[in-house]
Amino acid sequence: MLWACILLPQLALDGVLRRHATPDEPLVLVDGPVQRRVLRAVNAAAKAQGLRAGLPLATAQAICARFATVEHDPLETTRWHDFLAAWAYRYGAQVSRQMPASLLIEVEASFRLFGPWPRMEALLREDLVALGFRHRIALAPNPWAARALAGVHDGLAITHDAPLKQALGQLPVERAGLPPEAADSLRRMGLRRLAQVYALPRAALGRRVGADTLDQLDRLTGTLATPLTCYQPPDHFESRIEFNYEVGATGQLLFPLRRMTGDLAAYLAGRDGGVQRFVLRLEHERGAATEVPVGLLAPERDGGMLFELARGRLDVVQLAAPVRALQLIARELPPFVPAGRDLFDVRPQQAVPWEQLRERLRARLGDEAVHGLSVHADHRPERAWRDHGQSAPAPPQPRPGWLLPQPIPLRERELRILAGPERVESGWWDGDVRRDYYVVETAAGQRAWAYCPVGEREGFMLHGWFA
Amino acid sequence: MSLPDYAELHCLSAFSFQRGASRAIELFERAQQQGYSALAITDECTLAGIVRALEASRETGVRLIVGSEFQFADGDKCVLLVESGQGYARLCQLITTARRRAPKGSYEFLREDLGETGGLLALWLPGAQPDESEGSWLKERFPGRCWLAVELHRGPDDAARLASLRAVGERLSLPLVASGDAHMHVRARRPLQDVMTAIRHHTTVAQAGHRLFPNGERHLRTRRALSAIYPPELLAESVEIAQRCTFKLEELDYTYPHELVPQGHTPTTWLRQLVEEGVRWRWPGGERDAWRKQIEDELALIRTKAYESYFLTVHDIVRFARSENILCQGRGSAANSLVCFVLGITEADPETSNLLFERFISADRDEPPDIDVDFEHERREEVLQYVFKRYGRDRAALTAVATEYRGRGAIRDVARALGMTPELVGELSSTLDRWSGEVPPSDRLRERGFDPDTPLIRQVLALTVQLIGFPRHLSQHPGGFVISEHPLTTLVPVENTAMDGRTVIQWNKDDLDTLGMLKVDCLALGMLTAIRKTFDLLRDSGRGEYTIAGINKDHKDDKPTYDMISRADTIGVFQIESRAQMAMLPRLKPKAFYDLVIEVAIVRPGPIQGDMVHPYLRRRNGEEPVNYPSEKLKRVLERTLGVPLFQEQVMQIAMVAADFNGSQADALRRSMAAWKRHGGLEPHREKLLAGMLKNGYSREFGEHLFEQIKGFGSYGFPESHAASFALLAYVSSWLKCHEPAAFACALINSAPMGFYSPDQLLQDARRHGIRTLPVDVRHSDWDCTLEPERDARLQPAIRMGLRLIRGFSEATAKDIMAARKQWPFVDVADLSIRAQLDRRDQALLADSGALRALAGHRHRARWAIAGVEPQLPLFPGSTPETEAIALPLPTRGEDLRADYALTGTTLGPHPLRLLRPRLRARHYLASNELAGVPNGRPVRVAGIVTLRQQPQTSSGVVFLTIEDEFGLTNVVIWRRVVLRQRRVLLASRLLAIEGHVESEHGVRHLIARSLEDLTPMLGELDVRSRDFH
Repeated sequence: MLWACILLPQLALDGVLRRHATPDEPLVLVDGPVQRRVLRAVNAAAKAQGLRAGLPLATAQAICARFATVEHDPLETTRWHDFLAAWAYRYGAQVSRQMPASLLIEVEASFRLFGPWPRMEALLREDLVALGFRHRIALAPNPWAARALAGVHDGLAITHDAPLKQALGQLPVERAGLPPEAADSLRRMGLRRLAQVYALPRAALGRRVGADTLDQLDRLTGTLATPLTCYQPPDHFESRIEFNYEVGATGQLLFPLRRMTGDLAAYLAGRDGGVQRFVLRLEHERGAATEVPVGLLAPERDGGMLFELARGRLDVVQLAAPVRALQLIARELPPFVPAGRDLFDVRPQQAVPWEQLRERLRARLGDEAVHGLSVHADHRPERAWRDHGQSAPAPPQPRPGWLLPQPIPLRERELRILAGPERVESGWWDGDVRRDYYVVETAAGQRAWAYCPVGEREGFMLHGWFA
Repeated sequence: MSLPDYAELHCLSAFSFQRGASRAIELFERAQQQGYSALAITDECTLAGIVRALEASRETGVRLIVGSEFQFADGDKCVLLVESGQGYARLCQLITTARRRAPKGSYEFLREDLGETGGLLALWLPGAQPDESEGSWLKERFPGRCWLAVELHRGPDDAARLASLRAVGERLSLPLVASGDAHMHVRARRPLQDVMTAIRHHTTVAQAGHRLFPNGERHLRTRRALSAIYPPELLAESVEIAQRCTFKLEELDYTYPHELVPQGHTPTTWLRQLVEEGVRWRWPGGERDAWRKQIEDELALIRTKAYESYFLTVHDIVRFARSENILCQGRGSAANSLVCFVLGITEADPETSNLLFERFISADRDEPPDIDVDFEHERREEVLQYVFKRYGRDRAALTAVATEYRGRGAIRDVARALGMTPELVGELSSTLDRWSGEVPPSDRLRERGFDPDTPLIRQVLALTVQLIGFPRHLSQHPGGFVISEHPLTTLVPVENTAMDGRTVIQWNKDDLDTLGMLKVDCLALGMLTAIRKTFDLLRDSGRGEYTIAGINKDHKDDKPTYDMISRADTIGVFQIESRAQMAMLPRLKPKAFYDLVIEVAIVRPGPIQGDMVHPYLRRRNGEEPVNYPSEKLKRVLERTLGVPLFQEQVMQIAMVAADFNGSQADALRRSMAAWKRHGGLEPHREKLLAGMLKNGYSREFGEHLFEQIKGFGSYGFPESHAASFALLAYVSSWLKCHEPAAFACALINSAPMGFYSPDQLLQDARRHGIRTLPVDVRHSDWDCTLEPERDARLQPAIRMGLRLIRGFSEATAKDIMAARKQWPFVDVADLSIRAQLDRRDQALLADSGALRALAGHRHRARWAIAGVEPQLPLFPGSTPETEAIALPLPTRGEDLRADYALTGTTLGPHPLRLLRPRLRARHYLASNELAGVPNGRPVRVAGIVTLRQQPQTSSGVVFLTIEDEFGLTNVVIWRRVVLRQRRVLLASRLLAIEGHVESEHGVRHLIARSLEDLTPMLGELDVRSRDFH
């Protein structure tokens, strides 16, 4: 077996730069606690300004006036790592991302497909350049050696044990993937290169640096084989049905759709998950496929309901061309939390459960037309609710069920004050409000919520209605 | 229609931290304007702000009611008001109990805490849904002394709320009273109050939501507004309650402890006896008449003021320290007292300095004296523990310090509360000095990329101005004690500190002053530790027995010492070691003790800003005639050549020339200290000028003098203080001059202290011809030690101690020392086993070179220790390895790096010596070659940056000290260069400087024109600069 190691020396930074509009301007990644922010990585332009990784942010700001800072996000880095693993998977059946910031691919088995090493290496590099990731690549008979050699010699390819031994001998001790304490200890004994270490009597060495270090030394030479955890492509649901006839109306798709949603439900049940979004792809003879996304407010897995939703979406699709195949792809498979059902559910047969009604409305009227209301903690009434997001606990004050989008003058003469004034003075930081609110009753007996300027009792502005 | 009377019974001040948004004085002024009958300050479970409230009450004439707000751990809030002295003591006890059971800064108020409640009144503050059982429970505890407080703040339906509370009151037969829950004095403080709420909840105002108050009603509302909200009988009830509360803080019965007096003596007679003993001890040959007279005057005044016990207490503490061989010395104004001198509290000899007793105690100033005593910093804890033990924990406690918001902290908290990102907050706060009391000027903001005209920045600045000076939290004063005859908790609440087993009272020093309570300051001074350790080393090595008093007496006016000082060869010496001091020494050339007193005082912002330094130096060097405005003033100013340098002289001038009496002069001194912040010098100016005119001084002279006084500002140094410091400066200089090895050794053993690192102290010692020996497990103790040289005329060598190994623990060092005492170590295994070293200890010893004698060079030592196996108890001894192992020899660079990384210093060649050939090739001069360079000639110098300093007053100039193998070079970098080469300046450790030399009076500076970073030449050398900003 031959293993290629792709080392990604600035994975986090490359991931950020990919999505950055001006990657040539100075940019740094920062992390660390708020009191002591440290540069984690810097791009070339920032380096030219004298910035370097490890510098405290405060010092960096003193050195260089202008540079962009991006918060280092380890999760994002992990996602890029996954992304690249998925890419590497096409080059070999054994791919591992077990070692940080590197990918290991068993390539010998793939030579038949992609050609011998220099050619395959070129393919890998071409792809990585196109993807925008800096990299170093080395080839060795075992993954551990490949990883270590990639760190010191980009492009090195060793296929036999004898040259491997020689290359390893030249390896600096601290680059050999040894446990850090052991590497430190060896370095402090004056041992700089692995050849010096391999020359020491094994027992005496083992006593001093421990079994872990001996193991790693053996893994590098290949005398110890430790299996790597191999990468598995992510699981998601995909189902495709090809028609041997042309389907001209969406109504004809309902039958296959019911089966596919049923399969999806079964699959979801099997992995004890739900689905929050899936896509129907209607493939045509020519031209791009029609994509029909189906989104839900919360994860679901009831087959009937999934079908209803998909059908609602499908109903409004105008078919531009006949359909030759139908595909259902579900990638977002979050955990499913079942709704609590009462043991003695007395719901009449015809009534639609609230969730289902909500989803049906959304499907029919569009996503934008149906949304929830959530309470936002702010004393200013117009900012006290939002149409999305986490809801805060409702405030104790009585508030009207219907708040006007804009307050309007309340022209009614015969007002009876039921309560108030309730004084609201808040929001000086982004729009101060100073009002006295009253609950008033109009001549017609409606209860209105109206305000006037602080300390006054005229010029009422109507802001809402109580039910 | 006349407005109804009202007394606010529920009001928080700034001492309800991050809640109350107004200071006591603001609240009282507002209450006065609005014609309130009285104002209760009811900070949450604290009386920390009550003395400020008392002062405000005195100033405004609005009556203060003492109280506190409590939140039951399991229920409603209530306010307790003090009706009588008995109630006050109970309140203190309640707060103490609730605070003591919770961690610092918080409290836990339990129902069982309310036992006897006589003398206290209770206001029940029911929640949104009144829980009647709560009300009836409280009523039971406070029979006939409990009210239902109605607090209406323009909520959704105040009328309904009032009606429901009325019904509750009727059912429980509880009387109702109006109160305001005031958090600020005026509505305009709403933004600050919101910001405080956000700070308290660690969030932003935008995200604080309902934790903010819905409106600004919680201020001291006008009586007109109140009359529109509350029924008249509820307002009238507040005044009724206020009238019941007759307690005044002035009634507090504070008594100084009595027990220090032996049987058959009164404090007066006992003090007299101690003083007479002291007189005989200080002046075995008899005292001068003038001194006897002053002692009698002082004793008479002490008697009138009944301060005897206080002097006895301080004497007792000092006596204890002496008996334990802990060095101590009084400082500050107490050095003006001969009584303190003969009691051994202070050392300032009347022979050599001028004493002004009024500065210490005055007859008509009703303010207790203040004796501050310095102790060795490492042993002060023993003194504190002695005081606790002597008086008991219930009668002695440390005073508090209310940490106040300064510019940087304030702007940081405000900016954060307004939602600025951490980066911007950091950037914004860096526009301010740490201690600055003002907001940054606009150009400073622009420099940092902020637009001062945006609404956000304007808001930040406006709120920062308001927040500056607000108390933040209570912490402990480092050594201020209050001692009382009766348990302290009857006088003031006591709370926990962050330190285990420590408690503090809730008042600070000024509060105690206001209430006439006595305090003793036990401060910590590193130099005393170093001096005592020098004495110990000298005694133990048979080089002599010394004391501070002995050196001052027997080795007075030592010429070699003064020559050394005049050369500015003062690294490590007390006070005169800073760069500014060292620059002044060759100009002043001290020759006698009094010159040192002046030296200590003159390098201060006060004399510098008052433009007194140059006139003094000119007169001293005979470049300007010395003249005096009058014969009388000549006596005052003669010792400083006609230029006033000390606070005392300003007071004396006022007394001599303008007929001030002692107390008026002291009042002048106080205003001098505070005028920059509060103004208030004008009345003194008029009085001073009038008095001087009357005595025949010209108006011009008067004005000039007054300007000098102003320049003094808060930075003037009292002569008594300078004299106390000069004593230590002289003693430490004498030791450095005559026993440099012991002195350097002791300084390192007292680290961290002073300006210099152990490395710099060792380099200095070596430049003075003292041998330094490396750390070695066979010889090194924890501390550095002295090893005699074969030639007894030489100074002993300094053996580096294990304490110099970074990260090494004292306990391990002690284990090594103990094991070594039994028999010498055979090899590394023997050492490891007998001294029970763990892997980390072994590694540190190996890398630091301490195992050289046992195992060879560092690499071999590492190999050896790595092979030591943990010992099994049953099988002592290990099988020795027979194989010979070849390990490479460490290079000189590697050794140097390891030396610096492990011990922060090297005994091998200075890194610059290794680099010298390369530097020479690039035409760099060494520091010792600068002496011969004429002024203005361009030169290039390189060195390791040891100090960067950018004083606040320097308008952008940076002072730098660089070091090479020959010594230190002082560099001045003007603003222009700083701006241009900021990056190089901040990031370099090895710095090359092109510039020219400027020297005057033997003071040499290198003026930089351009800088170059040579750090890469150092490799990984661990050379750390100590940055001061």
